Amino acid sequence: MAGVPLVAYLALGLFLFSVGVVGVIIRRNPIVIFMCIELMLNAVNLTFLAFAKYMPSKLPTGTTPVAEASMSGQVMVIFVMAVAAAEVAVGLGIIMAIFRLRKEIDIDEMNLLRG
Amino acid sequence: MNTSELLTPNMGVFALLGGIAAFGAVGVVAFNNATRSALCLVLTFFTLAFLYFTLTAEMIGILQIVVYTGAIMVLFLFVIMLLNLGALKSLFEDRDPKMLIGGVLGLGMAALLGSQVLAPMAKVTQMRAPEGIGSPQSVGYSLFSTYLYPFEIASVLLLLGIVGSILLAKRRI
Amino acid sequence: MSANFGLIWIVIGLPVAGFLIQALVGKHIVGDGSGKRLAGFLAVAPIALAFGIAAYLTVALTEFAPGAREVVSPGWDWINIAGLNVPFELRVDPLTMLMTLIITGVGALIHLYATGYMGEEKEYTRFFTYLNLFIAAMLILVLGNNLVMLFIGWEGVGLCSYLLIGFWYKDLANAKAANKAFIVNRIGDWGLTLGIFLLFVVVAANHQQFNAEDGRFLSYDVLLPTLGKVLAGMPAVTTAIALLLFVGACGKSAQFPLYLWLPDAMAGPTPVSALIHAATMVTAGVFLLNRLYVVFELSPIASAIIACTGAFTALFAALVAFGQTDIKKVLAYSTVSQLGFMFIACGAGAYWVGMFHVTTHAFFKALLFLGSGAVIHAMAHNQDMRNYGNLRKYLPITFITMMVGYLAIAGIPPLAGFWSKEGILGYALANNHAMAANVNFSYIVGWVGLGVALLTAFYMTRMTWLTFFGPERWKQIPAHATAHGEHEDHAEHAHQGHHHEDHGPDKHGFFFSDEEMAAMPHEHEHHHDLDESHKPKEVSFSMWFPLAVLAILSFGGGWVLHNGNLLEHWLYPPGTMALNLEAHPHGIPLMALSLVAAVGGILAGLFVYWKGLPAKEGWDESKWNPFRRAAKEQFGYDAAMVSASVDGGRDVGLAFWRGADTAVVDGAVNGVAAGAGWLGASLGKFQNGFIRQYALIMLLGIVGLLGMIGLSFGRLANGVPTPPTVSLPPQTMEGQR
Repeated sequence: MAGVPLVAYLALGLFLFSVGVVGVIIRRNPIVIFMCIELMLNAVNLTFLAFAKYMPSKLPTGTTPVAEASMSGQVMVIFVMAVAAAEVAVGLGIIMAIFRLRKEIDIDEMNLLRG
Repeated sequence: MNTSELLTPNMGVFALLGGIAAFGAVGVVAFNNATRSALCLVLTFFTLAFLYFTLTAEMIGILQIVVYTGAIMVLFLFVIMLLNLGALKSLFEDRDPKMLIGGVLGLGMAALLGSQVLAPMAKVTQMRAPEGIGSPQSVGYSLFSTYLYPFEIASVLLLLGIVGSILLAKRRI
Repeated sequence: MSANFGLIWIVIGLPVAGFLIQALVGKHIVGDGSGKRLAGFLAVAPIALAFGIAAYLTVALTEFAPGAREVVSPGWDWINIAGLNVPFELRVDPLTMLMTLIITGVGALIHLYATGYMGEEKEYTRFFTYLNLFIAAMLILVLGNNLVMLFIGWEGVGLCSYLLIGFWYKDLANAKAANKAFIVNRIGDWGLTLGIFLLFVVVAANHQQFNAEDGRFLSYDVLLPTLGKVLAGMPAVTTAIALLLFVGACGKSAQFPLYLWLPDAMAGPTPVSALIHAATMVTAGVFLLNRLYVVFELSPIASAIIACTGAFTALFAALVAFGQTDIKKVLAYSTVSQLGFMFIACGAGAYWVGMFHVTTHAFFKALLFLGSGAVIHAMAHNQDMRNYGNLRKYLPITFITMMVGYLAIAGIPPLAGFWSKEGILGYALANNHAMAANVNFSYIVGWVGLGVALLTAFYMTRMTWLTFFGPERWKQIPAHATAHGEHEDHAEHAHQGHHHEDHGPDKHGFFFSDEEMAAMPHEHEHHHDLDESHKPKEVSFSMWFPLAVLAILSFGGGWVLHNGNLLEHWLYPPGTMALNLEAHPHGIPLMALSLVAAVGGILAGLFVYWKGLPAKEGWDESKWNPFRRAAKEQFGYDAAMVSASVDGGRDVGLAFWRGADTAVVDGAVNGVAAGAGWLGASLGKFQNGFIRQYALIMLLGIVGLLGMIGLSFGRLANGVPTPPTVSLPPQTMEGQR
């Protein structure tokens, strides 16, 4: 929006990202951890779009119209979403499988990959 | 940039939306109950979609609502309910030092990034992207011309996701 | 120049040929034993022929003027690098021909003797192989024209000494004695090597002064004329070289403290003792001093040390000889003592007298050893003098010849030993070359030598009287004398006093145990025990003929060589030596004194031993007086040396093994392995499976990375950097909502 500085969006994105990071470390429920990961992804999306809007950078060839440069940011967001969707599906499937096996999902108990 | 210049109606809208998103994010982390966390996350996503609208990225915004809140979060809620998770473990039951360190480190990371990234960007206030940049026509056009290959590969990725999740869900392979 | 001096190569070649014949076809010649005479002849003949050629060459040498008697016979190139040329070349000059005549002459006689002595040996040809090899090596030592060939011969005779002492190697004590000889010799070789190196350093530093365009800096014909001038300005270096060379001489010539291999070397067959340890190898040290006399002339301090060492050795060995009951041991210590005399002469500056004594000593000591061999042979290989007595009745030829030798060594005129000993004492008392700290050691040493001459006569009288006179004690051997402890066979007498060598439990089975040793068949001649019915028999012709020849030489040789300063002018014609020496001291009636010493010693011996063995020297060693018991054990020196070196060496080795190798080296290697394991285990604690911890560490890493990037690019310190420039089209449209 006009009048809103870029840093506002960036600051919000940073905040969301940090909250997501802290959440991954703090929470013990794997589903909530997953949700924090999604939060991080969304923060990244916001940042992409903000930059695409405010500072669409030139591609190195130098002949790209500004429109295309801006579009690259949005397309990136679309792909991030696609990946997030696939990842959620698979991840939750894993969690379901583990739950079926162990009847509990405390992430601290799942330490069989210890070395 | 003076404070008076900041207080525009646009800024107020942004502040509202941003504030709700922030609260939602904190709520994800703060609530013991997984369902409550999920619902907070829904709130956050929804608000983010509106923020995308303010950035004239309408297509993305709609996608955010449809895909993220409509599909992904629904999936989350399904799983939460399937697993019948209640307040299994309290957040503050075992205060292990990981939490404190994690908090400190997260704060540090935010500080570092912020000081490095936000500071130089302080003077950028003009949106420079051209008109109509976020419309479905533009996005679709771009997806099917410049970014065709990644688009197709992303569809393969989604196929992988499908196959994987089906396999994982089966009781016997 | 009518003689072809190239014949000198034949002189060396003949023993080498003999060695090869014996080594390659000797066994076939001997066959089943019938060919022993032929094999023996093939062993003696080369040496005798070499003697003939050497005699011819010596006569040919006299055609030159005195002082110019030096012929170098070039051979072939050996070492030729960087300005140093060390070829194989031989030298014919008075000193070398004297030594060659002794070596081949006395050597041939001993070879002849050995054909009889070793007649019942199974390993007949091996003996002569080694013996011929020894002669060849000794000839290389004396005939070589440079220091490197001397060293080759030096090592060669050391090797042959080892091989021959340990000839009956299946007996562990013999092998140990051979080892001892070689190892102690090695210590001497160390000194010799360092001396040669130091000499070479000096020569190389001053090489312009030497007349050597072809670079033969270590050859005598290049060294000797100029070495004196070069060394004259450096007394310290000269003394160092002289002392190092003397260490080498001590090792080979058995001076204190490196003498202790010689008595143990009696474990070898008697011809070996006669040839190597009386006549030739042990005189290599005296030869060295004569060869490089220019060095010793220039260093009074070194000469003093040499003289004192010689005197001390002579005295020490003479005292130890009193406690010995084995006839060969007495002769061994007598050899050590006489070698001390030779070094007294060299220390006093009278090098030619040293060679004179070498010659006369070769005669009478070889005679005494061969004679003792005959006695031992006749007494069924029993070497203990307490079993002898009145043997003159049974062994007349041996008796007469040994009497000649005995009188010669005692110093009775006109036999050989008198002249050489008088020469030694005369030069010692008359001159003051051996000066150190303003004390005329030469003089002191001369008087000591006189005393030792008396002692020499004394103990030789003891030996002779116990052997040839008195009651026939073997008919009255007490019961315990034939028991294992006292019965002297070849193993025992080498084992005397060294029982402590069987140290510690032998965990690895390196050494034969006593039972195994007893069970092994002894390779040497089987003998029956000495009992009352034994009748000693005189020896065969091949054994008494050399005795007779040596007796004649001992009788007249000294007088011949002394007469008219024959030997002196032969070796050192007037003008060659830098020192001006007096032959006879003023104011001291030397001839009378030495006569008194000799006769006095004989009378003292007769007084004690006229009736045979005194009661205080009988079979029961505990009844001996303390002095005699101490003397038997070399006053504890040998025991101390062996325990210091063997036990000390083993302790050092163990300490290094445990302290350094096991603890440090193995510890380091194992420690590295253990450390790696420990490190892995500690780091492995991070992998505990807690995902949140992994995430935390990832976050830590991220923060750290960001911080580092910030710090390294100075972005944190410098405050806010400028924003990147964004080149964009002008702001024609503003995204307005």
